[in-house]
Parts: sequence; C-alpha cells; structure tokens
Amino acid sequence: MPAAPAPGITVLHCINALTDVAAFALHSTENARIHAVKLPCSGMTRDIFLLKAFEVGADAVVLFTCPEGACRHLDGNIRAWKRVERVRGILDEIGLSSRRLSAFSIAPGDQEAVSLALRKVVSELAVLGPNPAARACPEITSGLTSATTS
Amino acid sequence: MSGRKIAEPLSRLHQTLAGGDFAVTAECGPPRGANQEVVLRKAGTLQGYVDAVNVTDNQTAIVRMSSIAACTHLLHTGLEPVMQMVTRDRNRIALQSDIMGAYSLGIKNILCLSGDHQSFGSQPDSMNVFDIDSMHLLRAVRTMRDEGLDMSGFELDGSPCMFIGAAANPFADPFEYRVIRLAKKIEAGADFVQTQCVYNLPRFREWVRLAREQGLTEQVYILAGVTPLKSARMARYMSTRVAGMDIPEEVLGRMAGAPGQQAAAEGIQICLQTIEELREMEGVHGVHIMAIESEETVGEIVAAAGLLPRPVPVLPGR
Amino acid sequence: MIVGTQKPIAEIKAMVKPYRRLLVLGCGTCVKTCFAGGEDEVLALSSALRLAFRVDGEEIDVKGQTVERQCEDEFIQEAAGGVAHCDAVLSLACGAGVQAVARRYPNTPVLPGVNTTFIGVREGQGLFTEECIGCGNCVLAEFGGVCPITRCAKRLLNGPCGGSRNGKCEVNPDTDCAWQLIIDRLKLLGQLDALRTYRSPRDWRPGIAGGPRRLVREDHII
Repeated sequence: MPAAPAPGITVLHCINALTDVAAFALHSTENARIHAVKLPCSGMTRDIFLLKAFEVGADAVVLFTCPEGACRHLDGNIRAWKRVERVRGILDEIGLSSRRLSAFSIAPGDQEAVSLALRKVVSELAVLGPNPAARACPEITSGLTSATTS
Repeated sequence: MSGRKIAEPLSRLHQTLAGGDFAVTAECGPPRGANQEVVLRKAGTLQGYVDAVNVTDNQTAIVRMSSIAACTHLLHTGLEPVMQMVTRDRNRIALQSDIMGAYSLGIKNILCLSGDHQSFGSQPDSMNVFDIDSMHLLRAVRTMRDEGLDMSGFELDGSPCMFIGAAANPFADPFEYRVIRLAKKIEAGADFVQTQCVYNLPRFREWVRLAREQGLTEQVYILAGVTPLKSARMARYMSTRVAGMDIPEEVLGRMAGAPGQQAAAEGIQICLQTIEELREMEGVHGVHIMAIESEETVGEIVAAAGLLPRPVPVLPGR
Repeated sequence: MIVGTQKPIAEIKAMVKPYRRLLVLGCGTCVKTCFAGGEDEVLALSSALRLAFRVDGEEIDVKGQTVERQCEDEFIQEAAGGVAHCDAVLSLACGAGVQAVARRYPNTPVLPGVNTTFIGVREGQGLFTEECIGCGNCVLAEFGGVCPITRCAKRLLNGPCGGSRNGKCEVNPDTDCAWQLIIDRLKLLGQLDALRTYRSPRDWRPGIAGGPRRLVREDHII
C-alpha cells in the first residue's frame, strides 16, 4: 500500500520576521510539503488568502508574524492575528477544524522557533488527518493560485 | 389647575388627601392567568388598611390579567382601585378607549406610566408600542377630564373624571433633573405622585425640600413609596439590580446583621421607622406600601405605624 | 450609512443548497464600510461556501462579483452577465439592494446574505452605532442633536424614564441613556431650559407607520 502523502502546509510569513527560509527546506523533504507565501507585512494577510489555501488543498495553514510591539508597520501583526482568529471561527462553522490554522510570532532569525512551530503543526495534522475539503486539482502541485475573483 | 383645586373629590383617595389625612395606598399584582380568586384573596388582606389599591399593568412586562379587569374585580369587594396604565403595550387609540371604559366601570384613579421595557418580561420577543409617553398620557387624561375632549379634539359623550397620578423617582439619574421632571408631570396633569421606595431618607428629604421650594408640594399630593425588605439578599439584589433604587450602607448593614428569620422583622422595623419620618415631612401627604408578593404584611405595617383606623369618606351620590 | 451583518454561514448554506451555480453579489458602498458585503467579504464567503459544501462531499459553483451600489439600477445591470449564468444570486447588499436586484432579475431567485440592521455611523474602529430610524420628521434641533426616537428604547419625548443607571440604559448596560446624553448636550449648549417644555405626542404618519414611503422629485424627472 503506497505511503500516505506528506501533509501540505501553506506558510504565510512576513519578510521582516523570516528572511531565511532554510527551516522550511528542512521540513519540506520528510514530514511535510511546504508552500511559502511572502508578505511585506503580516498585516497584509486577507481572509481570502487563508481560505483559498485550504481550497487548493492545504491541510494546514500557518502564519508567522513579528512579535508584539515589534511590527515595523506598528500594528500589522495585531491585525493579522485578529484575522486569523476570525477565519478560525469560519473554519469551525463550516466543519473544517480551526486547529488547521495557526499563527506564531517569531523573533527575526529565530530558526529554532520556526522549526518548533512547524513540528507542532505536523503533529497536530497527524491527529486531524488530511483536509476533507481538498480535491484533486493542478493548483496543489504548483502552489497557491492568486486570490482574485474566481 | 391641579387636583387640589377641584371642588368635588374625584375618588375616595382624593377625598382622604383633600381632607388632610395621611393617605395609605398599597399594591396588588394581578395573577398570571384568568383566576380572579387571587385578586379577591389579596383584596381580603387589604380591607380596612388602605385608602386605595394600585393594580399593576403587566408589571415588568410579564403578561398578567389586565389592570382594568383586576380593578373591576377589586371594585366588587368595596376596595378602591388605582388603575396603573403603561404606554408600552397600547397606542393612543387603545389607551383612550381603556380610560373611558375603566371610568364607566367605576374606576376613578389612574396612574400613568411609561412601563418597563419588554426585554425584561415574559415576552421579550414582542414589539413594543410607546406611541406616547407617560407625560402625554397624563395630559390626555387631564384633557379628557377637564375639557371633555379626546386627543383628536373630539367632544366626548361622557368624560372620565379621574384622579390622575404619576410616578416620581427622587433617586434616579440624573438627580438635578428629578425636580424639574416632577414640575413637568404636575403641569402635564398629575394630581398626585407615588414615589419609588424610600430607604435613603436624607436624599429623599432633599428632594422634597427642593420640590417645596418650587411650590410643587402645594400643587400635587406626594405619596412616598416604602417596601419592607425581607432579607439581606433581597436588599442587595434591589440595591444592585434595580435601577433608581438607593439603599444606603446602613440599611444593608442592618439587614445583613439580622439573622435568618429575624431579617423580615428587621425589614418591617426599618419600614416603620421610615414611615414615622415620612409623616413628619412637610410636603409628604401619604405613603404607598409596595409589599412585593407579601401583601399580607401591609395590614401589620399599617397597624404598627399607628395609621388605623383609615378614614372612610363617603362620596355624595356614590 | 446602512449597517448590516453577514448571516451565519450555516443559514446561508441552507438557503443556497438547492442551487448548483451561485453568484455572490457584493456591494461597494454601505455594506463594504461595515465589513458585511464588500469585495473582500464576497471573496471570503465564496471560498468558505465552496469549502463548506466540499466538507459535505458536494460541489457548488460559486462566482463572485461586486458592484458599486445595489440600490441603483445602472450598477445592478453590470451584473447581468453573471446573473445569466447562475441559478441563484446571493446578494450581500442591504435589504433595499436585494430587492432592487430581484426587481431587475425577476426570473432568478435573489437571496439575502446580510441581515440589514440600521442607519448609523462608524463611531470608532470596528464600532457602528444606530443613530436614525427615518421617522420622517426630524426634531434633532429640540434635543441638542441626540435623537430620542432612535436612541431611547422607549421613544420618550419627555424623558428620562428613571430606569437609567450611571448614564446607561436599563435595557442594555452598553447603551448610553439617550436622555442622559440629551441633558448633557443641552447643558453644554446652555439650553437646559428646553427640557421644561412639554413635547406633544408625535404624529407618526411621516414614518413607516403610514406604510412604505415614496419620494418623487419632479424637478429631476425629464
């Protein structure tokens, strides 16, 4: 029986929090497939980015932001966390677990924290299983499509 | 024009007040059903102790037998009702209609109120009316009585010559406006007012003083409200949850200090002491005893306060 | 502006279930400002609905479009193409917009995705408050610019009622007592005497009590 495919995790990150994505590569090979989305500030996160990631097959979505008080754009990270909370509510409402969406604040360059966060998400996914709303579509292999009117 | 200048007393309550006697009124809540026996039973406990009995109108927005019907049952026992009427549930058409009907049934006293919001009651899902407010209702009854006209200016076939009352709350926010509001209610048509229950005597005294200064105590009969506290819990609940209620620490302390069964007795003691002070106040013409769900204590209080026997004025031709 | 909130997804899902192809139609004016039905909300809701149906093992074709305003026909007509290719429209406009769309496209079911609530203002970040009920005869001049008909739970014209506590309404401790606000404002304006005046009963005919209203401006009809 073929091994179950490694879970797909879409990672949105603020380029101020994370400049080095080496940690992703580390995880990408064995226990997860990671699609990274760069944002100039985590405050640019829109609800649709998070939801669309699930539509195109992500099993989990993670957002990395700057720590509280350290956002270069003052409150971008606060806005991002609030939007994440809102979308988590939507996920629960539609029957997709809110546990599939999480946010972490990362001090710049803290690779260890990134690894820790990703490991957490992977172990969470071991319990949750694959995204029940995923369907086979070309976007899964090529990454996120652009979030415009469908 | 106020009730004090009317030549003939409009009701037994009016006659008692006009005669200079310290009046006593109490309250009767109708049943949550069609069982008039409840009304008759409550009336039985009040006979001989009061000059008139307020009958509430779906108080706290809880659906009960109508005030007009319960008042009519009371009339048959010989007690004189004060029909409470709120503007929450009926528009000006229905209100005027009920005023005429009530008077035709022999109801001679009315208390005009806005009413508690329906969100507090048993039907919070209902639409409220509030077509007019209590001030408008006072003016409407006054105009019907003194000019024989309804709110549309139509000449009535038979005027409801009622003794008109309003509620007054010396303890509500904002304090500085409370006497202005009393003046406004008198001008709109109030012959008498019944106040929210008094626990804070100094504050009440101040309100009466301000009213007296403006000549208002010469224009309206003031009946001060009292409610005997039954327990420390009741006192605390009323103090924190009921708006416009001022219960001083001293009173809360007395209730908290009285153990178990003695709490109710302490509550009555406080009530009696309050009544004694009210009788001494110039400008206070009576007491309105609101013994919530313990109407049987009214007689005990009236007797212990030395307010017996009640004068029983007989109105000519009635 | 008109304020509304998006209906719960479960309710929307039940409403759109009979339809295979859905057009989610947003409005770029009032409902955008209160985050109920603008372009962002159209995108997010469309995505959420597709996901919701897929979780149930079903598919629904959801397309989204946002027009400037759904209360004007010239903008509604821009959606003609999208409407032609759907089985139902889920309008995220206020109730007026939903009805206008339904009038323009009477052969397509037009469903409301938003609960329209009130005419109000943005009082602060994420905070919208009801200010006006459209009574048809504005008397704000008499009350220091605070409307007792909208903001007093009992519509008192000769308030306050005595139920307020610390300046808050007895019905909701988060709501300011309108009459406290009126008194405070009249004090600032030096017009506190106005409160001694008896305000007569209101004529409700200019308001909704007289039936749904109409405005005809002959000077704008050619």
